[in-house]
Amino acid sequence: MSIFMVSANEAKKLRPSLMAAAVLIIGLVAVLVGQIGLNMVLTHDAYELRSLKLEKRDLATEVQIIQEEVSSLSSPQNLADAANRLGMVANPASVLLDIESNKIYGKPSPAKAEGQQVASANLVANSALGAISEFSLATVSSGEVQVSVETSNNSDTGLVLQSGFIPASPTR
Amino acid sequence: MGTHAKLNRRLGAFAVVLFLIVAALGVRLVDFQVVKAAEIQEKSLASRSMTQTLQALRGDILDSSGQVLAKTVFRYDVNAAPKNVGPVFQTIDGVRTERSVDEIALELSQLLGVDYGEIMIRLEGDSEYSNLAKTVNAETYNAIRDLDIPWIFFDQFEDRLYPMGAVAGNVLGFVGSDGTPLAGLERQYNTCLAGVDGQETFERSAEGVRIPTSNQTTQPTEDGGQLNLSIDANLQFFAQQVLADTVNELSARWASAIVVEVETGRILAAAEAPTVDPNDPAAVPAADRGSRIFQAAFEPGSIMKAVSSSMVLDTGTADEYDTVSAPDRMNLDFDNEYIKDSFSHEDFTLSLAGVLRYSSNTGMTNFASQIPRETRYEYLKKFGFGSVSPLRFEGESSGILHPASQWDEMTNLVTTFGQGISVTSLQMAYAYQAIANGGVRLDPILVDSCLAADGSIAYAPNQGSTRVLSTASANVNLELMEKVVEFGGVGKTAAIPGYRVGGKTGTAEIKSGSGYGDEYAISFYGIAPAENPKFVVGVTIYRPEGVSNSSKATPPFKAIMQQALKHYRIPPSTTESRSIPSDKYGQIDEND
Repeated sequence: MSIFMVSANEAKKLRPSLMAAAVLIIGLVAVLVGQIGLNMVLTHDAYELRSLKLEKRDLATEVQIIQEEVSSLSSPQNLADAANRLGMVANPASVLLDIESNKIYGKPSPAKAEGQQVASANLVANSALGAISEFSLATVSSGEVQVSVETSNNSDTGLVLQSGFIPASPTR
Repeated sequence: MGTHAKLNRRLGAFAVVLFLIVAALGVRLVDFQVVKAAEIQEKSLASRSMTQTLQALRGDILDSSGQVLAKTVFRYDVNAAPKNVGPVFQTIDGVRTERSVDEIALELSQLLGVDYGEIMIRLEGDSEYSNLAKTVNAETYNAIRDLDIPWIFFDQFEDRLYPMGAVAGNVLGFVGSDGTPLAGLERQYNTCLAGVDGQETFERSAEGVRIPTSNQTTQPTEDGGQLNLSIDANLQFFAQQVLADTVNELSARWASAIVVEVETGRILAAAEAPTVDPNDPAAVPAADRGSRIFQAAFEPGSIMKAVSSSMVLDTGTADEYDTVSAPDRMNLDFDNEYIKDSFSHEDFTLSLAGVLRYSSNTGMTNFASQIPRETRYEYLKKFGFGSVSPLRFEGESSGILHPASQWDEMTNLVTTFGQGISVTSLQMAYAYQAIANGGVRLDPILVDSCLAADGSIAYAPNQGSTRVLSTASANVNLELMEKVVEFGGVGKTAAIPGYRVGGKTGTAEIKSGSGYGDEYAISFYGIAPAENPKFVVGVTIYRPEGVSNSSKATPPFKAIMQQALKHYRIPPSTTESRSIPSDKYGQIDEND
């Protein structure tokens, strides 16, 4: 080990700079804090992503449940049975109106429950039938089920009556 | 100075210890980071990383108006880990409650519809897996998940749902419990419907949360395509209702009805009874799980006469005014054989219209046997008999049409009225389609298109056509067929008020052994409206008990044709049929 003689000025220069140390340490701390912050954000997002994915799954399940219910309710088997419970009978005697020539084609005749070739109650198997229409003659007459037709004044429905053309009903 | 030396020694010792520690750590570090790096990396990744197969969804099958006939849904197996079974504690609003295993088992048994005792048995033991219920629907799955029981877990899998049940079940086919298509269009168009499974790899923390920015190699999932059928589900349902009724009433083996759109060759309905509900194919015998319209060949009988009469017209052998003799029994000049009509009558002299109207075998033979057999054979081939259609429906029958050179004397004559040949309902319907369509037979269409998941068209049929008859012959033939419905004994029952209908009855004895038994295949194939044909409807009822004429085939024909005309809003006929004589006297009045 050797010892040198230096002037007071030089000694001052050789003293470690407090400033440099401060910058270094603050810089390091800032980087670390930044990294922690970034990590926290990312991790938080990961948890949020997970919870959103779970929510998406739940909603998809919900959609599936509702879709299955709708398919079941709109299946022809359910409709045929529901109509039959209401006492409705299929009427093969259709009558057509020609609005161009003001002619009526076919003879209007009431549907008969007996002796029809067309079965009114469902005869076609469907084991996927889950939800079924609740209305029957009893429930409808007691007012448990409200049956109403919503009318709309919206002219953009695409149903424009043209001469000589009766538009097909959009319902089925 | 002593203090300094002491300090120096301590410092030295500290430095040595520090060095040793750092060296040891360094060695370990190099060992971990360099020497064993790959091995450790692999181990850790294996414990963190997950490879997940992303299931591709099987595509939907839709009818012509977009109603869903088949779709993919999720179903769930409900499992428990008996090892962890125990009471569940829950804190709700600061109140700690306990649910015993008994209570939970009771709730599960109600939700799953499984016996309580059975559930308790399955919860016993110390294994990690015990199945409680298979294939439960999403509603039950949600309800059980809401119970929040830590030792219950689920396996989610894809299942096939046919929301309309047996509507078009005969053509749709079905898939097995593992998702393998087993029959029908599900199998034939599997390349369209099946998707390609994707794959992804990611890293996760101990709690199962994905580590952000962890590697995610993903092979994209390709969902299956959507199959659009020409079938109209509403009309199909209607026809199936009618046939189910018919089969019940007549105690028939089976009945089928096909509805063809004349101008496009599209099959709007291919209905059968009995038939299969693809949700539960095991519920019916294997013989009822396919489609007889495509797969069953039968001797057509008299419905073939409308085809033979068109050949007579098209070859110029006779026109609608020419007549032949039509006795009720005609002896043949070989093997003491004879041909007779289905009812006794005086000797008729009939025109083609008369032959169809009375369904005279002798008259048809006398007209058509004037055409060389080779020519008739060529016509039959052009009508589509004896070969499988371009649909190539699975198990489709070609029927039996032997080459003319192999026809014996009897076959040569009886083929003119539909014996010695076997056909499918599909072939017969398209022979009538050719007559209705001005003599041009279109290839049948059952699948309109297959749309890939991105909406592009992956498949569309390339429809061919065959000119069988001249337009004039086809149109005159249709006029002759109108006479069947106007005047024919049975044919009259096929008439639809307001519309001009042409058609032909058929009663074919069913061969049993070498001869014919007392069972019948009765049919009515018809076209409407005759002046501008829109639909061919063909009804065949097989082996109806105690019915030996086709009078029971006309009511279902009429019901289905009437429904098709109504459903598609076809305006009623405004013209009258042409007067065509039935016999040499020009008789056109009502007979029998």
